[in-house]
Amino acid sequence: MHIDVALGSLYTLLTTPYLVMLMFIAVPLGIFFGAMPGLGGKIGIVLLIPFIFGMDPIPGAVILLAMHSVVHTGGSIPSILFGIPGDGTSTAVVIDGYEMTKKGEGGRALGASFGASGLGGVLGAVFLGLMLPVLEPVILAFSPAEFFLLAILGITFIATLSGKNIVKGLSLGLFGLMIAFVGLDPSTGGPRYTFGQLFLWDGVHIITAVLAMYALPEMIGLGSTKNVTMKMGKSTRYKVSEVWQGIGDVFRHWKLSIRTSLIGAVIGLVPGLGGDAASWICYGHAVQSSKTPERFGKGAVEGVIAPETANNSKEGGALLPTLFFAVPGSSGMALLLGAFLMLGIQPGPTIVTENLDFVWTLIWTLAVANLLCVVILIGLTPWLGSLANLRPSLLIPFVLTFALLGCYLASGAWQNVGLIFFLACLGYMLKRHNWPRPPFVIGVVLGPVAEDSLHKALAIWGPSFFLRPLSLVLIGLIVGSIALYVWRSRKTGNFEVPDA
Amino acid sequence: MLKCLLTIAFGVVVALAVPHPASAADADYFRGKTITYIIATGPGGGYDTYGRMISRYMQKYLPGSRFVVRNIPGAGHIIGANMIDAARPNGLTIGMFNTGLIYNQLMDLEGVRFDLAEMSWIGKASNEIRVVLISSNSGFDSFDDMLRATEPVKFAAAGIGSAAYLDSRILDTIFPQIDIVTIAGFDGAEGELSMMRGELVAQVGIASSYDQFVKNGGGYFGLAMSHLAQELLPDIPLAADYVTDPESLQLLSLLEALSDLGRLTSGPPGIPADLLGVLREAHNQAVRDPELLAEAMRLNIPIDVGSGEFVERRIKEALDQPPEMIALLKRAASSK
Repeated sequence: MHIDVALGSLYTLLTTPYLVMLMFIAVPLGIFFGAMPGLGGKIGIVLLIPFIFGMDPIPGAVILLAMHSVVHTGGSIPSILFGIPGDGTSTAVVIDGYEMTKKGEGGRALGASFGASGLGGVLGAVFLGLMLPVLEPVILAFSPAEFFLLAILGITFIATLSGKNIVKGLSLGLFGLMIAFVGLDPSTGGPRYTFGQLFLWDGVHIITAVLAMYALPEMIGLGSTKNVTMKMGKSTRYKVSEVWQGIGDVFRHWKLSIRTSLIGAVIGLVPGLGGDAASWICYGHAVQSSKTPERFGKGAVEGVIAPETANNSKEGGALLPTLFFAVPGSSGMALLLGAFLMLGIQPGPTIVTENLDFVWTLIWTLAVANLLCVVILIGLTPWLGSLANLRPSLLIPFVLTFALLGCYLASGAWQNVGLIFFLACLGYMLKRHNWPRPPFVIGVVLGPVAEDSLHKALAIWGPSFFLRPLSLVLIGLIVGSIALYVWRSRKTGNFEVPDA
Repeated sequence: MLKCLLTIAFGVVVALAVPHPASAADADYFRGKTITYIIATGPGGGYDTYGRMISRYMQKYLPGSRFVVRNIPGAGHIIGANMIDAARPNGLTIGMFNTGLIYNQLMDLEGVRFDLAEMSWIGKASNEIRVVLISSNSGFDSFDDMLRATEPVKFAAAGIGSAAYLDSRILDTIFPQIDIVTIAGFDGAEGELSMMRGELVAQVGIASSYDQFVKNGGGYFGLAMSHLAQELLPDIPLAADYVTDPESLQLLSLLEALSDLGRLTSGPPGIPADLLGVLREAHNQAVRDPELLAEAMRLNIPIDVGSGEFVERRIKEALDQPPEMIALLKRAASSK
């Protein structure tokens, strides 16, 4: 590793006023695009591209990457405050983040989210730097066989997230899988459960599913209570001390924070699994590895930390195949790749030897942008609390409007607005009768990945793909995950993850 | 007096409400109007890049107009294409979708509500030269080598029913000596990654999409499916040089037509001829604009201009297939 090049790039980044100014422009933009449900970072990149024409490669790459790297942090704001995910990767944080807001710990939840995002982003950048020498064999080690088994590993978390209600959880998990299979069959191309509707050919969007399970039922529940002056918190503004408490939680749970950052970075490194899967797999891991998993779904801060570290660390991982193989590691990276080409940057294996300083500039941009984002959001959090503590008669129409808008914008099909009401009826019934909702969402998120990967793996290797070395390791983890659940259930006499 | 004033007012309202037919020279028709440019994919990606670029420059050549881009993704471009087809034919809704929908219409696939032969074609911005990209890890040094393969050869493709998938099945039909197994589901650059891992051998797709991969040594162009490749890729063998039977030549001619048509802009059926003429001229000027060409060069995307008349003729030729050809196409598409 060329330490002189690495440190020189950092020095240049921090001492060049133009680059610093670009980051100060890019980070708030990224927060905005992430926080607006349905918009997301991709729209931001698309809208920024015309403005970067004529820029030199480094400034152009810095502004784009700085904006993109904080989008998920922005996405956690509506997820935590209103239960409305800003994008697909911010869905997992809804479970515990919004519960914390309802308990009056919204400031702490936001602090934990920002701190986790910042740490995840920095560790993702570190991961990127450390992986430079061993990149190619690691990326190429993961194939559809491993994607399938990783998805199955994530699906086993359904059991963990069901807790005591294993039958209910499994039923809902399977129902989630069934919803996930709506769309075109990958092996025949024929439509399944689309009822002749074209908009269902691409399946049910994850944002539609999560909004239907969380935001809408919560607002229905809020509106149907007799006491519409529900107290969301002790005060209408969050104190900065609450935010710092949340940030402190990230370091108090440092082992979990580091683990989920690494898991997220590895998942980001391997194109094909998807960013949504990273946050849910890490959330499931947090539940499974906790000594008190019954707290999850009721406002456990670890339920915020785990997905948020993964959200940001995966971007560092995703940058690797984008830069070194010109193969985008995520859908956002696909846009960045096009922008890099436009700026005259040639991704490929030679970028390390011919443009190492540029690579390190990008790595530091990831880290610095994430830290800058945390600082900005800490300052804004007290005012964000004012939004969350609106009285229900104002909050409900506000949240419903943004939920429906987010649902429409996410998929571009107005019919999803009808679908979301249908699924929200189910979500409300589940909430009322204390059925665990995360298993349903896990089924929706991981089902398509599992099916698509299984189809490809069988087509390439046949059933023998289970005997690949890395596949055997993952099978071991799956068996271990199930065994851990069974052992815990017997030891503790079952635990419960209610109200999620 | 009041009656007279009311009558005049009514007449003014009616006059304003009725769309004024534009004359051939009336480019001012679009002044002050908003033109919606529909792109049948989500943001990002090739179609979005081309569509946004073309709409920006068409706005330049339709003074006073304002272009608004709308992404209408879903169902493999079908939803966006249906929406363009269903729009009012007043020149204020145009857009771009995948040329591969020609296959969908030929085979009368589900979901298609448009008739491409009836749409108002405005122009094309590129070509889509189909090539066979062979992995450097494949063990094949050339396409001739692949012809001698004794084991099934695994090709990557996007979703079943996609243009890339159908191109791959057509290749299998044209070259019965190769047992091509097409594995669907490899979207974007996943196919290239799978080739790097050594899982898959090749794929059929658009040459410009693979430029970077080839430059990085991941693969090479083994075969070109269109004569258009001769100028850009002179060292690549042509499929037409290997094929002699009439059925295969027919299939190749369809691929040839599709290769010639890339990044098409169209409007709904029935746009008045003079309005369509204005749009075509604006598109023609836009795609030849030096700034657009410079922008395209920086983005490393090819530009190959074609008029609306040319596109209309080629689309109708491509769709004018005898029943035997359509049966052949369906047979090719349904094979493994």
